Amino acid sequence: MAVPRLATNDLARVAVFAALIAVLGLPGAVNLFGAVPVTAQSLGVMLAGALLGPWLGALSISVLLVLVALGMPLLAGGRGGLGVFVGPSAGYLLGWILGAVVVGLLVRALGRRTWASVLVAMVLGGIVAIYAVGIPVQSAVTRLPLSATLLQSLVFLPGDLLKAALATAVTMRLARAYPRAFRTTVPAGAARQSGHPER
Amino acid sequence: MTALYRPGRTPLHRLPAGPKALGFAVVVLAVSLLPTRWEASVAALAVAAATYVFLGPGLRELVAQTYGLRWILLIVFAGQLIFSGLMPAATNTARVGAAILLATLVMLTTRVTDLLAALERGLQPLRRLGVDPQRASLLFCTVLTTVPVLGRLALEVREAQRARGGRGVRIFAMTFTVVALKHADQLGEALAARGVD
Repeated sequence: MAVPRLATNDLARVAVFAALIAVLGLPGAVNLFGAVPVTAQSLGVMLAGALLGPWLGALSISVLLVLVALGMPLLAGGRGGLGVFVGPSAGYLLGWILGAVVVGLLVRALGRRTWASVLVAMVLGGIVAIYAVGIPVQSAVTRLPLSATLLQSLVFLPGDLLKAALATAVTMRLARAYPRAFRTTVPAGAARQSGHPER
Repeated sequence: MTALYRPGRTPLHRLPAGPKALGFAVVVLAVSLLPTRWEASVAALAVAAATYVFLGPGLRELVAQTYGLRWILLIVFAGQLIFSGLMPAATNTARVGAAILLATLVMLTTRVTDLLAALERGLQPLRRLGVDPQRASLLFCTVLTTVPVLGRLALEVREAQRARGGRGVRIFAMTFTVVALKHADQLGEALAARGVD
């Protein structure tokens, strides 16, 4: 099992998306929906999956989370440090990785991107997948029963639905106006290195 | 963007970064797995407080960090109070607080550069799997230098939008994404021009 070498332009995109998610958490940089304290960071997670694809998207988020664990205050509200990973929202952060993979796989699997299908991909990856990891971990950390935790997390659902719609709008618009945004071509080097024997 | 590091010469500051991070990860995990009993939570809080006061940055930092956690702890406490009652609520909130306070000590007493160097060393065994520790380090450092740049670009996009009377979140998200992607292209070219292949 060899990890394929990361091409330089992919490295740059992975780094920029990790930074983009960090910037979406800066106070004042993006004030989504007025005064409601909704962080825009999971919007970045959905876009990373859709634009970088499942694996580079997941790498981008993993890199961000490692930097957060090392103590950089890159999460919304300037949060960072190992403490974040034992707090109640730890599972949602780990869920970001799964979320990017799910969004990436679904958006890639769509032959023709339509509004509805991309929105389904964003909801399944950006909400369902993230909650599926986040809620059990929150329940484990706070020892609150799963059903009660689920109920508590519904507070964030309206904001997350808006973000899924926003991510869909951006993806659809970029597909038409800036198709270079989507990383679809496999660099020649990576294809050669993986060396499929059947070819 | 500043890290949480507080300069100092305490015993915790003098510990090497890698072993310290690993040791704390174990302790913090152990605290998180404590049973839901008030004795366990009180012990965890006592250990956290004693580590701050006797081995780490001191009482004042302990108070500051606890104050910084007030909203998280309040949310945890309120949720528990509604569903489980006062005693479990206090016990569970105290345990979560103790775990977070202990974990924060690593960042308070270690420079990010030292942690990054320790991480690069820690990744060496993964060479066999094809992971390139130097490339991983490059990736981490590139993210750290890109955050302020993208932050500035985000402000520029927003100001330009405002100057034209626009307010839409959708337009902002779209423009900012394209600007970020263009920056990534330039960054990739710049890295290649500097001999990163």
